Amino acid sequence: MPLVARNALLALFITIALAGTVAYAINYLNNARVAELSAIEEQLSIDSLSLETQFSLLEAAPCDSNASSVTLTTELADFGSRLSYAENQLGSDNPQVIRLKERYSLLEIRDYLITRRLAAACGTKPVTVLYFYSNAGDCSDCDKAGYALSYLRDTYPSLRVYSFDYNLDLGALKTFIAVTKVQDTLPAFVINGKHSYGFTSLEDFEKQFPKGALSTSTPTL
Amino acid sequence: MLAYPFLFIAIFFESFVLVTLLSKPAREARGRSLGTAIPSVAIIVPCWNEAATVTETCNSLLALDYPKEKLEIILVDDGSTDATPEAMTRFAGHPQVRIIHKENGGKHTALNAGIATTNAELIGCLDADSFVETDALREIVTCFNNQKVVATTAAMSVHKPENILQHMQNAEYTFGITLRHAFASINGLYVTPGPFSFYRRNIVEKLGGFRYGHQTEDMEMALRIQHAGYEIENAPRARVYTKAPATIMGLIKQRTRWTSGFLRNILGEYRSLIGSRRHGALGMLVLPSALLAIGSGILIFFLMLFLFAKNAVAAFEIRSGIPLSYAFLPHEFIDWFYLPASFYILLAIIVLLISITLITVGKRISKTPGNIALGLASYTILYGLIVPFWLIRATSDVARGKRRGWRY
Repeated sequence: MPLVARNALLALFITIALAGTVAYAINYLNNARVAELSAIEEQLSIDSLSLETQFSLLEAAPCDSNASSVTLTTELADFGSRLSYAENQLGSDNPQVIRLKERYSLLEIRDYLITRRLAAACGTKPVTVLYFYSNAGDCSDCDKAGYALSYLRDTYPSLRVYSFDYNLDLGALKTFIAVTKVQDTLPAFVINGKHSYGFTSLEDFEKQFPKGALSTSTPTL
Repeated sequence: MLAYPFLFIAIFFESFVLVTLLSKPAREARGRSLGTAIPSVAIIVPCWNEAATVTETCNSLLALDYPKEKLEIILVDDGSTDATPEAMTRFAGHPQVRIIHKENGGKHTALNAGIATTNAELIGCLDADSFVETDALREIVTCFNNQKVVATTAAMSVHKPENILQHMQNAEYTFGITLRHAFASINGLYVTPGPFSFYRRNIVEKLGGFRYGHQTEDMEMALRIQHAGYEIENAPRARVYTKAPATIMGLIKQRTRWTSGFLRNILGEYRSLIGSRRHGALGMLVLPSALLAIGSGILIFFLMLFLFAKNAVAAFEIRSGIPLSYAFLPHEFIDWFYLPASFYILLAIIVLLISITLITVGKRISKTPGNIALGLASYTILYGLIVPFWLIRATSDVARGKRRGWRY
């Protein structure tokens, strides 16, 4: 075989090997991400269940367990950020991403319910935001709304933001949507039980919050 | 997705260079010891307004380690309008130097005027802004021991790089040393650069001397040599240093001339070389790759520009109304989870790493002195941002039939 042809074949082999190695590395990294998310999700399930059990055991409201409730919400937010990043990397139609999103939504609903129960029992007034979005390309303002909510959550630690993919095929979420009476005009928000639809600007959005809700003081719950 | 095929081709091309460097012909070329033959040599220095550098250039030639009676230096003043004629006068009485004054007719006419006055076996060219190492000629002459070789190129670097742009070009030139060495081993060279390329005089005369060659007479001559079925060799340790443009505009103008010259030659008279099996690596790989590099460089640039603009607009839209102190600061912790390792980015990193390896290899092969670190850094950061400008300009000139002056 002529030298040039031999070298070209070798170069082709090296190119394929390098591209294959890159593909393997990317796949390995994505699997590691999914494994990390699964581990976090499992831990959050235990924490959530623990809080519920604690609540039931004490019969009266475990108002001294506020710290664990706040921690759970913070960890849930971190899980949400990671899940969102993984969704961008792997695609929103990835089965593992969908499975994790379902579990994430369940954990959010559970945390929301615990928060409400604790608030009722302990007499506190946490500010909660239910945010419904869509990744199906039918929500042009969802990215802006999501970013604004991230800003508000990072700036006001007392704010509890729960994000839901409106189109996720999950029984509990559909029931939750029905119970909270959220229409399919997205983005949709339920701020302390008050519904609003669409997003124009952060300034307008902030006006929908109860007076004094957006403060940087230590959260009451 | 559009960029993937080009990244694959870039990796393939660089892998091919690496494999070729390790092949027997290249290894033998690197191991070549200096020959004992001492053919007569004439080195032509075409000058047009080169008053600032011609003295130093000529002095570096006079310092060459070569028998004086076998070495002739021909300074050709191609109708300069500055102090070049006066600068040449100081060499007027030198026994090795011949001075020719002629009306301005272009570099190729200056070279031909020099060739017409000599009977030397080998003729060399040296641009008047270039300087040679003392052993460079012996390295070059050794390559002509092979009777199939009719031309030989040297190893070019930038003369005393000062600013970041010149350091970048120095890295690029050093990359060129590797490429030239590798491709010479499979007779794939298509340019015999102005700084210190040599030819058998009888072959140059047989081929009809230098031509205008769309302002790239060195490339046109090399293509004509290849077209005629001869071989072009490279002497990787024949070090020559050339002045490089110090400004971006100067660089873009110079490279526009080179690139448009390449396109006009290769798409014109020498089109038959592309894809020619008879011309082996040159026809099947080197020339198609060079053409593809121009096309992909422009395409990827526009693609990146589009994606950057699109993402920037989206990012600004999303952040509108959010305090700047939050909007443009990273919020994700340093965590492996958020490592932005996409298929595209990793392939691009591989291309860059192999490029850096090839530059380092070029410096080592040629034994070029100096530190290349700044060159590597500037090459990594700047090169890809500047190249598209001369590619677009040159392609546009060729498409529109626009011709520019040598120095504008």
